[in-house]
Amino acid sequence: MTFHQKNVTVTLVNFLLILGFYLIRVTQLILSESFTLDKIIGVWITVVVIAIVVTIIGTILTHIISTIIETIKTGNEDPQVDDIQDERDELIDLKGTRVSNTVYSFSVLLAMLTFALGQPALVMFTLLILCGIIAQIAGDIFRLRLYRKGF
Amino acid sequence: MGKTQIKNNIRTLRFFNDEMTQAALAEKVGVTRQTIIALEQQKYSPSLELAFRIAEAFGVSLEEVFLYDPENGLN
Repeated sequence: MTFHQKNVTVTLVNFLLILGFYLIRVTQLILSESFTLDKIIGVWITVVVIAIVVTIIGTILTHIISTIIETIKTGNEDPQVDDIQDERDELIDLKGTRVSNTVYSFSVLLAMLTFALGQPALVMFTLLILCGIIAQIAGDIFRLRLYRKGF
Repeated sequence: MGKTQIKNNIRTLRFFNDEMTQAALAEKVGVTRQTIIALEQQKYSPSLELAFRIAEAFGVSLEEVFLYDPENGLN
């Protein structure tokens, strides 16, 4: 497994956890009958900040752990972690991004449709961030599939 | 998601070049070892630039490394 594969796996796990957090938080808000625009924007901000911070920390930790494993495996104190991004990594990344963008485009359409059908803006905002997370997860799953099965 | 229509002789050429390892070839042409593995398993078609770099690494022409097989990868 290359460094980039590990990185995609870590990002996927992060976003699955973020999805779990988001769903739990929204359910809590609905059950406590405090499901308002202010609260949902607060959750939005929390999710975005967590996503950025966790992704950065995840990348750094992946690098550190890869280096430690490589040191143990080779016995070399200054191991070479294969973290170069070659043309295959770039192509896989682009294809994954395309999947994410496609999923998100349909999601935005769906969210706007709920608004057009008379649902409150709150539902549209809730769906937008939910679909953003799902789009990221779909892109990462597609990237891992390309890494494993080829294309 | 099967095999590509580009066949290659990378594995054979590595063997005849002092049993060059995948890692050594990867380092020589500037890609990861996983890309060399994907190429040998015909799961990835390289760019023209990478194809030339691989041919140059073995000191042979492009046709001796890669060949186009339209029948491959259609099933």
